[in-house]
Amino acid sequence: MSVLVWVEHDNASVKDATLAAVTAAGKLGEVVALVAGQGAQGAADAAAKIAGVSKVLLADDAAYGHALAENVAPLIAELMSGYDAFVAPATTTGKNIAPRVAALLDVMQVSEVLSVESADTFTRPIYAGNAIATVKSSDAKKVLTIRGTAFDKAAAEGGSASVETISGKGDTGLSSFVGAEIAKSERPELTSAKIIVSGGRALGSGEQFHALIDPLADKLGAAVGASRAAVDAGYAPNDYQVGQTGKIVAPEVYIAVGISGAIQHLAGMKDSKVIIAINKDEDAPIFQVADVGLVGDLFKIVPELTEKL
Amino acid sequence: MAQVYEAPLRDMRFVLHELFEGEDFGDLPHFGEFTPDLTDAILDEAARLTRDVLLPLNASGDAEGCTIENGVVRTPAGFRDAYAQFRDGGWAALSSPPEWGGQGLPETVNKLVEEMICAANLSFSLYPGLTHGATTAILGHASEDLKRAYLPKMVSGEWGGTMCLTEAHCGTDLGLLRTRAEPRGDGSFAVTGSKIFISSGDHDLTENIIHLVLARLPDAPRGVKGISLFLVPKLLPNDDGTCGPRNGVAVAGIEHKMGLKASATCQLAFEESIGWLVGEPNKGLAAMFTMMNAERVSVGIQGLGVGEIAYQSAVAYARERLQSRALSGTARPDLPADPIIVHPDVRRMLMTMRAYTEGSRALGQWVSRALDAEAHGADPETRQRASDFVAMMTPVVKALFTDLASETANLGVQIYGGHGFIREHGVEQFVRDARITQLYEGTNGVQALDLVGRKLGAHMGRYLRPFFHAVSAQLADAAKTSARDLAAWRSSLEQSFGMLQLSTGTIAQKALKDAEEAGAAATDYLRLVGLVGMGHCFLKAARIARHRLGEGTDEADFYTAKLATAGFFFDRILPQATAAFLSIKSGKRSLMALPADAF
Amino acid sequence: MKVLVPVKRVLDYNVKPRVKADGTGVDLANVKMSMNPFDEIAVEEAIRLKEKGVATEIVVVSIGEQKAQETLRTALAMGADRAILIVSEDKVEPLGVAKLLAKVAEAEQPGLVILGKQAIDDDNNQTGQMLGALLGWGQGTFASKVEVAGDSVDVTREVDGGLETVKLKTPAIVTTDLRLNEPRYASLPNIMKAKSKPLEQKTPADYGVDVTPRLTTVKVEEPAKRQAGVKVADVDELVGKLKTLGVVA
Repeated sequence: MSVLVWVEHDNASVKDATLAAVTAAGKLGEVVALVAGQGAQGAADAAAKIAGVSKVLLADDAAYGHALAENVAPLIAELMSGYDAFVAPATTTGKNIAPRVAALLDVMQVSEVLSVESADTFTRPIYAGNAIATVKSSDAKKVLTIRGTAFDKAAAEGGSASVETISGKGDTGLSSFVGAEIAKSERPELTSAKIIVSGGRALGSGEQFHALIDPLADKLGAAVGASRAAVDAGYAPNDYQVGQTGKIVAPEVYIAVGISGAIQHLAGMKDSKVIIAINKDEDAPIFQVADVGLVGDLFKIVPELTEKL
Repeated sequence: MAQVYEAPLRDMRFVLHELFEGEDFGDLPHFGEFTPDLTDAILDEAARLTRDVLLPLNASGDAEGCTIENGVVRTPAGFRDAYAQFRDGGWAALSSPPEWGGQGLPETVNKLVEEMICAANLSFSLYPGLTHGATTAILGHASEDLKRAYLPKMVSGEWGGTMCLTEAHCGTDLGLLRTRAEPRGDGSFAVTGSKIFISSGDHDLTENIIHLVLARLPDAPRGVKGISLFLVPKLLPNDDGTCGPRNGVAVAGIEHKMGLKASATCQLAFEESIGWLVGEPNKGLAAMFTMMNAERVSVGIQGLGVGEIAYQSAVAYARERLQSRALSGTARPDLPADPIIVHPDVRRMLMTMRAYTEGSRALGQWVSRALDAEAHGADPETRQRASDFVAMMTPVVKALFTDLASETANLGVQIYGGHGFIREHGVEQFVRDARITQLYEGTNGVQALDLVGRKLGAHMGRYLRPFFHAVSAQLADAAKTSARDLAAWRSSLEQSFGMLQLSTGTIAQKALKDAEEAGAAATDYLRLVGLVGMGHCFLKAARIARHRLGEGTDEADFYTAKLATAGFFFDRILPQATAAFLSIKSGKRSLMALPADAF
Repeated sequence: MKVLVPVKRVLDYNVKPRVKADGTGVDLANVKMSMNPFDEIAVEEAIRLKEKGVATEIVVVSIGEQKAQETLRTALAMGADRAILIVSEDKVEPLGVAKLLAKVAEAEQPGLVILGKQAIDDDNNQTGQMLGALLGWGQGTFASKVEVAGDSVDVTREVDGGLETVKLKTPAIVTTDLRLNEPRYASLPNIMKAKSKPLEQKTPADYGVDVTPRLTTVKVEEPAKRQAGVKVADVDELVGKLKTLGVVA
């Protein structure tokens, strides 16, 4: 079985999400990586080094520069005559492209795969992770998106695949890229951070949120997250939100400060390796998932913790 | 845990569509357009609005309260936006007549929506509630000119309304009131006096507030026969309907209350404020009472609402609070302790709360059907019967539901243990909020006196007949049942009904000789009527549930739970009837034995 | 410009899903069902476009059981103009839904199809993209802002790490993210009016679409529960724990 994997990249390097997708794809068969971009030789070279990748296809064209689904989906669909499965990481880019590919192939996609049970059987979360479904696909070709936190990352170095340049139809003229505002932060990005410090509504205000959470995060080199309640209350910007309707994260360490642990929040962080909770309510549901809990006043605890670290 | 509320839509649909299907006051073609799919859509949206907009302001409104600064009253943060959303959605105009811009909803639906609003935020409910009361009085008694000038904006909720009855020295006894109204020679009057306890007397939710004020004309007879009703706007409207100058109505202060803190309860000073007579001179009390009666049913519904949120909040806590192990052995080995809901005594409290709220909802719905039939029944006989039933049940709904609500709110605190006494859990608020419902619109003692004094013996017991007939008819109908539990419950109801009939006769007879006998029996009698009324509803509900389960239903959980609640009611609540009966039977003797000086 | 908005009836977002003991799925008997929250945002966006004079008519479509009528009525009460219910008592997968919607779109000729980015039951996040492929239209997924100008639409998308704006030629597909707007509550007069708005019933066969599922659900289980850990007494003990865990040196 041969598997085509979508490489998420910034033209120069490969993003971490790709590495988990390679691991998942490797469970199905031989992995060929597709780098579609503009001036993306650097990314293709990086992809060639990923352990487990047997070949890299590079489609370098202005039309693929911003990974517009309208342009890259036909490219992939055409390539798929030579592959049995298409695998993309379940990033916003992967989620944008893969279903378009699936429809072009007349295939029902399996989204956010958590495990590969066999060549045609997968597990995936439904109801915001409140249930796990095992599904079996009867389609001849498979189209999958992979939840990055569910698979180990393939080694970024060690492989030596060849890079083959290909071309596709290019621009379909349906869409064009206008611009992007990517949040710049000294801190690591939420979905790839090793440590996350998240604040909840108990922080009481935007000022207190930043006064308490930011120093602790900086001390730990952590990313900053927030509960939906804190975001809705305006204490933290939208892209901080961790949860069912925000970002799904699974860092090594997740520190929840003043977060009660609503189901929708737990759905976004419960796969973290270690969860630490600080809350004044000893009955808060967050303590039911926390590995380490401290009951008390966060306004005293957090500064003390920051200081003692 | 905190305040938890999700409108009990399934039970609401049950009382609305199933419980009284095809009986009592007949079909009302007037409301033909309100088919179940439409009423359900209305209830669904009301449920969302109350949960998402009003509920989040309940605890914060209680903590912040209303404030007064330079004579201007401010509602707590968020209330203005919430009110605007409520008004713009057309919810203020719910049951008002369409000819004045209302939505003309039947009371059966309206009262369910009221319950949701009161559950989610009792304080909030007072603002549209008072406006609706004032609207009702204007609709019933004011001149066409006044109606045209004020009703459209009040019905839409753009302007608020109040009812100004109470003065410092007169509450229950309005005959003592002193506010006076002098003719100004142009058909208007100058109203002067001080009023207290005026709900929504001033606030920042509406542009204008229309006060309905009880006052005396210069030549008025003494006592209650000399009271007239006046419409006094806060701002005098211009000819084009916009708001003009202030009208000499000043806020002298806001009351500092035990609960209901987000509702602005004001002291108002009228200083030669311009007003217009509503209805006939010296007939103000009668005009006010058409509205008062309607409001009393609504206050009962307020109690029901608070009871429901107290119940739901208690259930949530009882499920999550882990303490000790079940008496029968560990129930949840995966947890460090069992949730307290495993304990029989916690169940006793939860089931009591549940039976009270479900029983009240069913009984309230029965009365709502009568309210609709009173206005729109097919023939004069039906309308009279409905009206008699409403007259009898109004004090019962008001006093019974609010007494039960207080009990329920207190049980809620009990389930939370010490945490219930701590403000941030939010459940002690229900106790404080529920408490007022037993007091205003006539204390519950006054309601009981109304029942035994004005309703019980009047017109040879005519007011009681629709109720007694309905219970007798069901007892006869259910006599055929072969189901053992239904038969047992029927016989409990029959027994209590017997006690009620006996008490009714006794009180009627004794009261002829000694009015104090009626007063001594009043509160117990009202409770007895309420218990039989709820028992009647529970038996009906249980029979329907049994039938549906027999037919096969995909809602078996709901009907099974209904049977369980009914069983609890008959086993554990209806026995209160015997206590009430024995109290009534004992008469006034021991009650009045101690001379007043000896206290 | 006509706007087509597909809506789905799902378990209400406030209800905690319970996995059925037999492992066949999530228990939907006797639980509150509502419009998928992302679809509500889609309906709201369409109404705002109509209020701005950009959209002329809003057609809502649902594919599902008869009870999905309630969901369509909710959309009509919010302000949609008419509704189409494609009745299927069996579950239809996103691919089948997209095929049906493509037929509806061919018949209705909308300028925009606005969909929720995903339904909160199956969390597939596929239908809009698939519909884009089948119709050969551009797609602006995970939209946080939609601006129609002439024969194109600018869609600002919530992407990992920030926002991205794309320009699409209309007709086009938009899928909504959470912060596109805050859906309104239906007003009482509009709930009453919704009753008389047209609701047309169809079946997948009317469109000649085969909706046979491609995936079979082998089983549905509860996720593995995390075990509660330990409570520490104070900050010093917490710091100690962090050290043992290797979080800090």
